Amino acid sequence: MADEISKWMKRIDFIVVALSLIIVVWLVGYGAPLVIAPQDDLETTSTAVLFEFSNADKILLDDNLEFSSPEEIYAKDNLVINLKPGVYYWKVVGFEESEIRELTIKSEVGLKLQESDDGKYEVVNAGNVGLDVEIFNKGTFVGKTVLEPEESSLEKGDKFVGGENE
Amino acid sequence: MNKREKLFGRMKGLLFILLILSGTVLLAGRIDALGITPARASVDFVSGVEKMIGFNVINTDGKDMNLVVYASGELNKSIFIFENMISMGADEETKQISYNIKMPADLSPGMHSADIVVLEVPKEGGGIGAVVGVIAQLNVYVPYPGKYAEAEMHISGAEQEGIVQFVIPVVSRGDVDLVSVHANVDIYNSIGEKVDSFNTLEVSASKEKRGEIVHNWKADVPAGVYSAKATVIYDGETLKLEKSFNVGEMILDLQQIEVRDFKLGEIAKFEMLVENKWGEEIKGVYTLMNVFNKEGEVMAEFKSPTENIPGFEKKVLVSYWDTGGVKKGTYDSSVYLIYGQKSAQKDLQLKVSDDMIEIVGFGYVISSKKLFGDRDLLIKVLVIGIVVLAVMNIAWFVFLRKRLFRGKELKRGRIAN
Repeated sequence: MADEISKWMKRIDFIVVALSLIIVVWLVGYGAPLVIAPQDDLETTSTAVLFEFSNADKILLDDNLEFSSPEEIYAKDNLVINLKPGVYYWKVVGFEESEIRELTIKSEVGLKLQESDDGKYEVVNAGNVGLDVEIFNKGTFVGKTVLEPEESSLEKGDKFVGGENE
Repeated sequence: MNKREKLFGRMKGLLFILLILSGTVLLAGRIDALGITPARASVDFVSGVEKMIGFNVINTDGKDMNLVVYASGELNKSIFIFENMISMGADEETKQISYNIKMPADLSPGMHSADIVVLEVPKEGGGIGAVVGVIAQLNVYVPYPGKYAEAEMHISGAEQEGIVQFVIPVVSRGDVDLVSVHANVDIYNSIGEKVDSFNTLEVSASKEKRGEIVHNWKADVPAGVYSAKATVIYDGETLKLEKSFNVGEMILDLQQIEVRDFKLGEIAKFEMLVENKWGEEIKGVYTLMNVFNKEGEVMAEFKSPTENIPGFEKKVLVSYWDTGGVKKGTYDSSVYLIYGQKSAQKDLQLKVSDDMIEIVGFGYVISSKKLFGDRDLLIKVLVIGIVVLAVMNIAWFVFLRKRLFRGKELKRGRIAN
């Protein structure tokens, strides 16, 4: 009889402990930040990056894995952050910290020419880095213009060559 | 003029407009674009070694293109491009271009570079009449003999009494790693007086891994513009850096509004006392006041002349309201303090009587955004869950289990008796 009671007690012990463990695991999962985007090791030339997550209210962003000088961005769920080209490590922080993900914004030199009616060209920096645009006319170098991303200027020439500035 | 002539005239006008429009569209529509990624590659110099590097050409316009690729710049003779003439189809978004660099036997210490130029070959009878080209840069770093550091300083501004973060990334450009790097930073105010000084902790830096000096400085100084002069000290050598930063914000405070010697129907003189809480002079400051009628429409708008207010000083800005036709009563009003790109608004009421305008209340427009509501809920759920678990376990193991066990034992004893 004593053995039966003991067995019965052990069964209840087991149920209580198992139930507790299940609830703890569920609570930890419930409290853990959920990181959706951008995916790990993403490489893109787009400087506007959508960060999607839940159960967190802060994004930590740094250029090293040690997060020695992180940029702290307070946000709720989703946020688009404009970043310069480079390699970034990021995580979100809520009740606890998420995994660390890597993100690479690749530099892009983009040059767009649009003919205007006065024989000039609208030179547009269509990339994500600052540009030095060399202007040539009939094979001769005639000048240079510096353009920030999305900036444009009206120039006269027949050859335009753009490269990243310092 | 008969109907036919009128119709013909209208059609001519319409045709003329259409011609201009189509010409404009044709001219405006002639665009040419080209892109490459990444814009720059860097390699460390190793005498005589050959290395292959690639980049992608981006067909921004999604069109058929013929491209010519060539090397220019200091190291152009060390570059070998596999394909100098490339064709891209309209359906090709990107195309990889590869080249080899054969490092020279000897190069002086420092950075050397080459440009890989990609030019679009103009099509006969098409295109825009100009050539567009982009450059992929290659930087080759030749280490300096011994220890050599390159560094820059980043400073994040802060509120007064807040924390200003100094970050100094240090890169080793020598052929020996940097074992001990730290910085001494002096802070100067706008008139060149040293207001503080600090030393940072030590870091190390190698060719493979850059070092990062981080120091948090408490901005226990008045708001204003400051400059930091840093001496980076690495294994006995030094490097100077300098950068300016802000402490606090350019803030003006509207402290008082007075209307004296007023008579209804005459011109009211509003004297607004404004304090500059910033350490520097703020230029181009003026006030704009709107008075609203019962329907909420603007019935009067008047502004003060533009003034400059020196740092930490107060100034009275004067504006005038012609009260001709204004009846006695209470009017809602908004005062805007405008400086630079900023504007501060205060809402108040004007109690207008025969010989007095009473200014009632400085109502601030405050928007509060609750950022942490969800987090609070999450913490509550977790705490409640853990408390429930603890209670459940304590209840079972400390009380229920013993009681139940004792009850069963007693029952068993009775049965045995």
